[in-house]
Amino acid sequence: MMPIWTKSGKKHAVTLLKVQDCHVLRYISKEESGGRTSQLVVGGKNASPFSRSESAMEIFKEAGVPRKQKITSFNVTDDAIIKPGTPLYAAHFRPGQFVDVTAKTIGKGFQGVMKRWGFKGQPATHGQTKTHRRPGAISTNKAAKVYRGKKMPGLMGNIYRTSFGLKVWRINTKHDIIYVNGSVPGHTNCLVKVRDSKLPTCKDCNKNPPFPTFFADGDEKLPEDLYDDEVFQFTDPSVTYA
Amino acid sequence: CRISSDGKPATFQPPPKPVIIDKQKQGEERRFLSPEFIPPRGRTDPLKFYIERKDMIQRRKVFNIPEFYVGSILAVTTANPYASEKASRFVGICIQRGGKGLGATFVLRNVIEDQGVEICYELYSPRIQAIEVLKLEKRLDDNLMYLRDALPEYSTFDVNMKPVSHLEHEEIPVNKLQVRMKPKPWSKRWERPKYNIKGIKFELPEEKMKEAQKWSKPWLEFDMLREYDTSKIEEKIWKEVNEELKK
Repeated sequence: MMPIWTKSGKKHAVTLLKVQDCHVLRYISKEESGGRTSQLVVGGKNASPFSRSESAMEIFKEAGVPRKQKITSFNVTDDAIIKPGTPLYAAHFRPGQFVDVTAKTIGKGFQGVMKRWGFKGQPATHGQTKTHRRPGAISTNKAAKVYRGKKMPGLMGNIYRTSFGLKVWRINTKHDIIYVNGSVPGHTNCLVKVRDSKLPTCKDCNKNPPFPTFFADGDEKLPEDLYDDEVFQFTDPSVTYA
Repeated sequence: CRISSDGKPATFQPPPKPVIIDKQKQGEERRFLSPEFIPPRGRTDPLKFYIERKDMIQRRKVFNIPEFYVGSILAVTTANPYASEKASRFVGICIQRGGKGLGATFVLRNVIEDQGVEICYELYSPRIQAIEVLKLEKRLDDNLMYLRDALPEYSTFDVNMKPVSHLEHEEIPVNKLQVRMKPKPWSKRWERPKYNIKGIKFELPEEKMKEAQKWSKPWLEFDMLREYDTSKIEEKIWKEVNEELKK
């Protein structure tokens, strides 16, 4: 995480996400997936091909791509279908766009009810016998049972969570890095899924995204760093209020 | 043999050896790398530090961040929309330098009209217009937070102070000032060995000093897992930074 300053002098905290060897693996049509739209299966970071069974390796062989650590699927409209085997780059996103980021949260192990659900616990003194971090009552008398989904101690973290509506401030095309506003679930160097935001307030924010994606061998030659309009670039002189 | 004034026979004392100072060599030896360039110990990808360093060097090309240490007196002008002339200047002694990378900060302390004021500035913030070093010197400690509990005369500095000239290729003077403190209670127990402060003249009774040594942890300096040798990393980064700045 890094600070980034706008031209008005305000500071925002920014998370760096690296796009490492992403390839499109397979195209699943609407009828196959059974949903409303067709899906594209995308694979992430490269990993060794020796620790998986042959059946899982078939997808990679068909696409002609080394084995990937993580596979996710994206719902795609019919006009945005990409041929399996094309690499995906960070330039697929543009600064000023809004993005949802999904990842597995940091695993905290078996945790008690105060840390896991934020219960208040009991006082430390005034005669409390061996009861300082316990849940207290778990149901009423009339219910005569404990409801399903009652908040109790258990394994905390290590589940998929999404942070919505994160603004993209800057993109580095040389190293394939996306600077995303705010914090992102997961520990440092964990695998993360980045998607165009589905929030209704962010529908008009994508001005002219590269459609269907950014092709490296195409005609466009992008500069090494793409900045949002409001970002203060370090090549400019210091900010003054006239 | 001659008898000295004490009445004992004078022992042979060899003449003092001449000390040869090679001024040319000394000029090359002094290297200063700002502490925020050194990456902290952790599992982050070195690519992140490389990119952050590029940004820091880019900012240093446009805006000059001088060399300074904890204990030197600086004057900082920042852009302020609510001030007349839109710029405010603050003079103070640097008590602490924290943070790594672009978020590096330094805290300046001064006593203005009997009110102690501490301001924490970010080195790479675009609102800073100028940083001038009025007096470049080091102190016995890395962290001068104890000045809050010291007598206010040690934290007062003239706002219109003239910059003290410092010749290049000379060693940075170390101010061995021992500061006198206000009566206890202090904000932190500075006499305890965990803070390892050398710049205070403790006027506490001996029993209190001995009691404070009860909290000493003499095994900490031999702990191998806490070792973080930065000499090689510093050399590489120094070469990289210098090459980039010369361009």
